[in-house]
Amino acid sequence: MAPPLRPAGTSASGAGVGVTAMAVVTAVGARRRAAAFLLSSAVRHQSSQSTSLQEGLVAKTSLTSPPWPKVKLPDPVEEAKYHAEVVQKVNKMIAMGQYGRLFAVVHFASKQWKITSEDLIMMDNALEAECGDRIRMEKVLLVGADDFTLIGRPLLGKDLVRVEATVIEKTESWPKINMRFWKRHNYQRKRIIVNPQTVLRINTIEIFPCLS
Amino acid sequence: MTGRGSPSRFLAAVLHNGVGRYVRQLQRLQLLFSPTAADARGARQFVEETALDFARRHPDVVLYVSARSDGAPRLLAEYLNGTVREVLVTSKTSEEIAQLATKLAGQSGLDIVRIRKPFHTANPSVQGQWHPLTNKPSALTVQGPRLQPQ
Repeated sequence: MAPPLRPAGTSASGAGVGVTAMAVVTAVGARRRAAAFLLSSAVRHQSSQSTSLQEGLVAKTSLTSPPWPKVKLPDPVEEAKYHAEVVQKVNKMIAMGQYGRLFAVVHFASKQWKITSEDLIMMDNALEAECGDRIRMEKVLLVGADDFTLIGRPLLGKDLVRVEATVIEKTESWPKINMRFWKRHNYQRKRIIVNPQTVLRINTIEIFPCLS
Repeated sequence: MTGRGSPSRFLAAVLHNGVGRYVRQLQRLQLLFSPTAADARGARQFVEETALDFARRHPDVVLYVSARSDGAPRLLAEYLNGTVREVLVTSKTSEEIAQLATKLAGQSGLDIVRIRKPFHTANPSVQGQWHPLTNKPSALTVQGPRLQPQ
């Protein structure tokens, strides 16, 4: 950075008698740097004026455009038409039953599970239903088949998906040992933790053609 | 012991229970107690008061009551896969024995060890398992400086 502009006279007088020589040298250097600064600013001013008048003459450097590719968004009217078409197609497929196995992402027992029919799930707490009861899981986030997926924001409607499960087993977990031991302090505590567990079998996942 | 030092198994159901009909896995429950011992008082009270209710609530479990045991009073649970679980009910109250019996009726005969994963599925992938070439354009469609689409 060029030092702040100072007229040569003031610097020599301000430095004092003992350091006159150094003050003179600094004054000369400051003048030279001041002149260079003035010249460069003039040059820059000229170049910016020319760019504003004729574009396309600026060189393409690595910083002229961002490094990610420029995304061209589609026309909103066309996009809405395309969306409607897709929704109609998927609705027709669901109505005709042109899907095989369905999978769903379900929020249950404060966890999200990816489930299909005929698979087992275990929760680490007791459920109020008895063994053999059929349960409907209501918080469904996503349902997918081989050709299409229905993604909820964040949940799908209850009239769109139906996930049913049966309670198979209500047991206790294996006895987990919780032990604390401090060496040389004659301190040890042992506690056996047994949690209730519930095992569920997912019976069916059904979807109904009510997309809009 | 820790989970690593003790046996473990994967989550499973006996013979795909629940896919079709649900079948209770407890086959029979035997209550063996002595008619005179002091520690069998809870067992005797259970038999007098709650055993009939329990039997009515669980019609698919056969309840045997046998009052000629020499040893401590116990509850013997036999499951459809052959496992036999014996639980001592010495000095337990009638309610505790009823709770224990309900718990045994809800269990299947599989081992009570650490279960490795809380889920089990025979169909892990519906839309095809992901591999690094999923959702990547093939050479037939890629347009590059030297490679033109075919």
